[in-house]
Parts: sequence; structure tokens; C-alpha cells
Amino acid sequence: MRIPILKLHNYLLISIQTELDDKTAIQFQEDLLEKIHSSGATGVVIDLTSVDIVDSFIAKVLGDVVTMSDLMGAKVVLTGIQPAVAVTLIDLGIHLQDVPTALDLEQGLIKLRQELEE
Amino acid sequence: MEKILKDVVLDNSDEIVRMWIEQVKKNQGGAFYQSLSDEALENTNREFANAIFEGIQKGKIAKTPLDEFAEKLINLGWPLTYLTDGMQVFRRSVVKFIIHKWEDLDFSEADNYFELGDDYFPWVLEKVDEWVDPLVNELVSEYSGSWENIVSLQRMALQELSAPLIPVMDNITIMPLIGTIDTERAKMVMESLLDGVIKHNAEVVLIDITGVPVVDTMVAHHIIQAAEAVRLIGSRCILVGIRPEIAQTIVNLGIDLGKFPTKSSLRKGFQTALELTNREIVEDTNREEEIENLIESLDRSEEE
Amino acid sequence: MSDQSCVYIKKEWDIVAARQMGRDIATQVGFKTVDQARIATAISELARNIYLYAGAGKICFEAIETVQKKGITIKATDEGPGISDLAQVMEDGYSTSGGLGAGLPGVKRLMDEFDIISKSGEGTTIESTKWLR
Ligand SMILES: Nc1ncnc2c1ncn2[C@@H]1O[C@H](COP(=O)(O)OP(=O)(O)O)[C@@H](O)[C@H]1O
Ligand SMILES: [Mg+2]
Repeated sequence: MRIPILKLHNYLLISIQTELDDKTAIQFQEDLLEKIHSSGATGVVIDLTSVDIVDSFIAKVLGDVVTMSDLMGAKVVLTGIQPAVAVTLIDLGIHLQDVPTALDLEQGLIKLRQELEE
Repeated sequence: MEKILKDVVLDNSDEIVRMWIEQVKKNQGGAFYQSLSDEALENTNREFANAIFEGIQKGKIAKTPLDEFAEKLINLGWPLTYLTDGMQVFRRSVVKFIIHKWEDLDFSEADNYFELGDDYFPWVLEKVDEWVDPLVNELVSEYSGSWENIVSLQRMALQELSAPLIPVMDNITIMPLIGTIDTERAKMVMESLLDGVIKHNAEVVLIDITGVPVVDTMVAHHIIQAAEAVRLIGSRCILVGIRPEIAQTIVNLGIDLGKFPTKSSLRKGFQTALELTNREIVEDTNREEEIENLIESLDRSEEE
Repeated sequence: MSDQSCVYIKKEWDIVAARQMGRDIATQVGFKTVDQARIATAISELARNIYLYAGAGKICFEAIETVQKKGITIKATDEGPGISDLAQVMEDGYSTSGGLGAGLPGVKRLMDEFDIISKSGEGTTIESTKWLR
């Protein structure tokens, strides 16, 4: 199972539509970094609207991917985190403090533009 | 033998009902009954009697007309004692009727005839109990079940009340917290806050704690968690209504509100919310008046 | 009144199977979306720990109903290396695998009741319950 990564100008858009198992998550991390490298993208939006469980492992993969992308010069915004997912993350003590978030894909793109302008 | 006994009771239901009604009326003198018209009470008594007889006829089969009757009464707010008293009197009326009729009863044709002699009384009691007890149990469990339902509905209504969300304008929502916050309520507040953010597509939420009497570490902890969850789903929180004594406790307790913006009043918080959603108030209008209007419209939507 | 079903954890995919089954049972018990997610996440954490640290084990679910309340109990059992310092693994951030160390303390917060029994060299049993509010 591979998660498709779309390119839009110099942004990458990812909408995660599957139940995230560990292998898929790791594979996604590799694919995304590779794509940032080959495309020279400066911004990434990862939309999690359809994801209904994020445990500590997936949270770590997501947090890591944000930091790694940052190192490669691409800003990442997470969008569409469901209320139930947010609540469980808080219970787990995971706050993803340095990860920018937005309500949906559209807002995510707006946020990216703002962050990149600054 | 039992069948003969039961048939006699069922065949003479009219007379037993008469005895029963006469007796229950004596018990129905309390304030509750006085608030009812004679006719309403009379009708209900009759309905009750019919339901009991149907219940006895059907035996222990689940779901008798008695259930429906009980449910109806509960919804109308009748006391449980009406049902239990009624059943007690019914038990006594039936026994009385059977004793009265005993001499005329002929068991000689019964399938499993046995000699009772003069000791028939305990046997009659036992049989009557066998018919009545399941009905009483059913009534009581029906009543308590429905009552629990009502209580949980009321609790739900209260929960909704205690965490209202007011979408004041596009992308800005206010959540006034009123009353004491415990762990249970904090969880609920967080959930309704998050659902509200999604529903109203709120970019900024103002949490107004003016109405929270005490902010200790626990309460602060819950509020911070709620704000963090709000940030995760992609929105932002501003904490408003920080009274002087709350500012003091926050500092004295060493609570770190971190990156999370706070304002002393709803008015100031609202101004910040406008800025965050790129809606500046244009200088050539009267700034004060504009905000006044907004706050006013806010009060109005709160009343709706 | 009880009903027990188990998922054996041997490979990575069993983690997903376990949390899906747990979520189904939680739904049947009557839990709302947020608590369903809490329960499924707790299962995911326990199942992954079995997979990572014990290699194999099982997760069992029980829908419970008492006079006053309903709920779901998750029981995670393995015969792996066990845990020598229970207080340490319950601390936020403690991990021997470079993980976030959020699993066990997280499960305790996600659920209402949490019991852990473990002996070095003999294995670990964790039992955790969530009650319907
Ligand atoms: N079933 C188990 N058997 C043995 N050790 C375990 C088990 N579960 C957890 N542990 C130990 O407890 C530590 C903390 O677990 P946890 O809180 O889930 O965080 P993480 O999995 O991120 O390390 C693990 O690093 C591991 O050393
Ligand atoms: Mg773990």
C-alpha cells in the first residue's frame, strides 16, 4: 500500500485515505522525502481528514516527517485532524507542538503561503 | 386445579374490578390525586385494572399491556406508589373474592385434583402471588428503567447547556464556560469545543472563563489541554475573562500558559480574533462603536 | 453477561486487526466516536508493544455489563521478557526502542482502569477497562 503524493506548482499535496499501518507509514515517510528532493518543493500539505486513529507510532512518524522535511527546506502543514484523533493525541501526551496545523486542505495552502512569505 | 381458580377470577373480573376500585380510591387522597379530575382518576383506574387482567391472562409472557400502561403513567409523572399500591390492593381483592366464593367452587372435575381440606387458604395465597408477583416485578422494572432514561436525558440536556458554543461571525466562535469544572466536565467541554470548531469552521475560538469561580492547577491543566487539542485540529484558542485573582493564582501556582494567548476581557480577545482572521477594523469608523455593536450582536445570538 | 474475543499478535498487520475488532466491540457496547478512538488507540499501543517487545501474544476483549454500568475490558497477554521496573515504564517519555514512550502512560489516560502485572523473564499481562459514560 502506497500513499499517492500530488504535485501542485511547488507544493506537494497528500491526502491519506487508508488505515495507516506501520509499513505504510514508513514507506510514506521515505516516498515523501524522496519526492521533496526530486521536485524541489517548498511546501507540503498532509491532509488527515479520513484518518480515524493516530497512535504514538504514527504520531512519531508524522512528527519526524515534518522535522525531516523542514531540514530539507520544505514546510509541512497537517490538516483535517479529526476531533477524536486530537483528543487521543492529547491523552497520549503528544502535542506536536512545532507542527503547523489547519482546518482543511484549502486553509492549509493559505497557511503555507503565509509561513513561506514570513 | 389452578386453572379453575384462574378462570373463576377471570370470569368475574367485573366484580373484582369493582371491589378493587372501591378500595384503591380510599388510598388516593394525597395531594397528587387531588390535582386530578375525578374522571381522569376513574379512567386511569379502569385502564390499570384492564391491564392487570390482561397481564394475568397472558401469564409470564414478556411485554404485556401493563408495560405500556406503566410507561404512559411515568411519562405523565404519576408516582410509583400508584402502581405498587394498586397491585397490593389487587392482590387483596382477588384473595378476598376467592375466599368469598370458595363454597361455590367445584374442583372435582380438575385434571390434577387433590384434597385441600380446611387448609386451602395458604394454597390460594400462593397461587395468587404466582400471578401477581411477576406483574409487580415487571411494573417496577419498567418504571425504574423509564425513570433512568428520563434522568439520563436530563443529564444530557444539562451537559449541552454547560458547554454552549456561539458562532459570532464567520470563523470566530465563543465558548463561555460557566460553573465549576471537574474532570468529567472538562472532557465534555473539550469534545463539544472540537466538534463546534469543525461544525462552524472556526479559525479562532474564544474561551471565556469569566464564569468559572476557581481556576486551580487542575482546571488550568484541562483548559490548556483543550486549547492544545483545538490547535491540533487546525484552529486557535484565545483565553479571555482572566480576572485579577485568576491571574494571581496562575502565576502563584506556576502554571505555564505557554504560547496560548490570553486577554482580560471578551472585548479585547475579540479584537485579537479579528486580527488573527485578517479582519482589521478600518480606522475611519469609530472603533469603539464597532466593537460595541459586535459585542451586542454577540449578546443577542447568545439569547437565541 | 460477558462475551470474549481475542486477536493473536504475531505480525505487524495483527495490530490493525486488533484495533479494528476492538473498535467494533466498543461500537456495539455503545461508545461514541471519541471514546471509540480512545479505545482503538489504546489497543494499538498494547498490540504494538507485544509485537515490538515480546514478539508474540494476544489481545482479548470483553464487553462487560454490571448492574450499574457497561464497558469494555482489554486484556493484553504475552510471554515475552517482562518488565523489571514498572514505575519507570509508566513515566511519560521512557522508551527502550527510540519510541515516544507515550504508549503505556497514554493507555492509562485513554482508559478508566489500568492494571499491569509483569515478571522478568515470564511475560506481561495488562488489563484495562473503559466505562460507558
Ligand atoms: N509487553 C511488553 N513486554 C516487555 N516490555 C514492554 C512491554 N510493553 C512495554 N514495554 C517496555 O516499556 C517501555 C515503554 O513502553 P511505551 O510506553 O509503550 O513506549 P514505547 O513503546 O514508545 O517505548 C518500552 O520501551 C519497553 O521497554
Ligand atoms: Mg509502545
